[in-house]
Amino acid sequence: MKNKVINLLWPLAFGVAIILLWQFGIFHKLLDLKPFQLPVPSEIASTLAANLPKTLHDCGVTISGALIGLIIGSFMGFMIAAMATFFPKWGYGGMIVVTALNAVPIVALSPIMNLWFSTGMAQKIGVVTVVCMAAMAINAYSGLNNLKPHSIDLMYSVAANKWTIFKKLRVPNSLPYIFTASKINIASSIIAAIISEYFASSTSGLGFGIKDNLRKAEMAMGWSYIVVASLAGVILYCIILLVERDAIKWHASQK
Amino acid sequence: MKKSKLTSLVAVIMLILLAATGCSSGNSATPGAGTSDTSKPASGKLDKVTLQLKWLPQSQFMGYYVAQAKGYYKDQGIDLEIVPGGSDIIPEQQVYNGVANIGVTWVSSLMKYQSKGWGLVQVGQIFQKSAMLLVSKAATGINSPADLKGKKVSSWFGGNEYEIYALLAANGLNKDTDVKLVQQDYTMNQLLKNEVDAASAMTYNEYGLLLESGLKDSDLHVINMNDAGVAMLEDCLFVNSDWIAKNQDLYVRFLKASIKGWADACADPEAAGKVVYNVDQSVSLAHQVYMAKEVAKLVVPKGFDPAKIGYIDMAAIKQTGDLAYKYGLLTKPAVISENTVTSKYWTEATAK
Repeated sequence: MKNKVINLLWPLAFGVAIILLWQFGIFHKLLDLKPFQLPVPSEIASTLAANLPKTLHDCGVTISGALIGLIIGSFMGFMIAAMATFFPKWGYGGMIVVTALNAVPIVALSPIMNLWFSTGMAQKIGVVTVVCMAAMAINAYSGLNNLKPHSIDLMYSVAANKWTIFKKLRVPNSLPYIFTASKINIASSIIAAIISEYFASSTSGLGFGIKDNLRKAEMAMGWSYIVVASLAGVILYCIILLVERDAIKWHASQK
Repeated sequence: MKKSKLTSLVAVIMLILLAATGCSSGNSATPGAGTSDTSKPASGKLDKVTLQLKWLPQSQFMGYYVAQAKGYYKDQGIDLEIVPGGSDIIPEQQVYNGVANIGVTWVSSLMKYQSKGWGLVQVGQIFQKSAMLLVSKAATGINSPADLKGKKVSSWFGGNEYEIYALLAANGLNKDTDVKLVQQDYTMNQLLKNEVDAASAMTYNEYGLLLESGLKDSDLHVINMNDAGVAMLEDCLFVNSDWIAKNQDLYVRFLKASIKGWADACADPEAAGKVVYNVDQSVSLAHQVYMAKEVAKLVVPKGFDPAKIGYIDMAAIKQTGDLAYKYGLLTKPAVISENTVTSKYWTEATAK
């Protein structure tokens, strides 16, 4: 118990120290910055408090787009992996396409999606879907195929058909991999959603707020959006961690 | 054990601090290096000056390119480097940080930075008129600003939306409830594909793109900010207050060469468009020439004496400041003084 508290206190103290150094202008001295270039934490906090409803609304827009895209993308990624597992001959082609898509930078993807979709929300979901698809497909494919030695032989020996093997062996085996992919995707879906908003034909969302305010010299407001974006990312990541702890209690990583 | 943990922590912090100070001293050294020598031009050694554009290399900035091509800067003892801008390159920040010495930006945007405490001063006004239009297809039926009610209108935002806010308010429309404002990309596809009803367009750039896409003037309805009485000034020249204090003579020489370049460009936009095209082929020659012709109308409007290129019209500056304050860009009235906008270098540069 005592150890746990100490383990928690050290990082906490470090974080507080950073904020204090920032607040009292040490960073500004070191980097030769003025407060209007890098606002201090207290100013960011008061700006955020004054604009909380608008910021939260924008956060909701971004997060809902990110989550919908995450779900669609992860589902499609898993289906591609399942396809490649069931029909290795031609299904693996999907994996290659998805890996190639993964290499397309988000900044190139966003304007392309702008041409395909007319609303900012649809464009955002499109970008996030593509981004999330690859990580899920690659991880799920490993999970569905990296089986314990002899386990598949056992299934064959009891005359299990393909579908039973899939349901009883491959899917449970892939769960840890799927959670790994989800943890990667939760971070990248928020990043993708925010970047896509830089280009989207809408005026809501965290990405638009960050870009618009930093351009207009409203640095404190821009930083408020940055703070909200990182908080949202951390909270979602924690939720995934909790779900994972519950869902795969049997796995070595959870013991 | 604990002790060694603590030492390593301290070591990490020291490293971070070291890296940070290393960066900062590196940063502050660069601008100094270029400006240390402000001696007379005749000595043969050229003074290095960096000009930060607001946007990509295009005829919007043809005066500087023409002056560069004709050697006007060299004649003034200046070795000019022209740095292109982009959607997330902010001239005010570049000039303040010393990445560039002189910047081109919109007056309203500069006023915003000044109001936040950035030590920048306006030292010339190239565009005498606003180039901002709100364009719609004739079929949409937007014949006057009042017809915008209930329509989807796009803007580039980031400070470019305030003439539209002013236009809406001047016509009794609420920007939040009477219209739907969306972000516009740097093409005109949203308007062409009918995804928006009215789109922002600069006379010299996006309006030309619409014409090049096959539409005719008669297919388009245009709301001109100058006619609507809500014009805000755009391309101006500005510098860092500390830099100009040490480089007055250098700036005056830069301005002399630039005015000469602009005068040549406006007298023969066709040739100026070609000069710009030779520097950067990102858009077609025809578009650069179109842009050059339109820009010439902003720099030397009808009835404007070409000898006065760069003149700062204080009444127009005041209108820009008033509109920016009234419609929410500025939170307090713009301070218009010698410290924020000054004509003294222009007077010196244009003295016979």
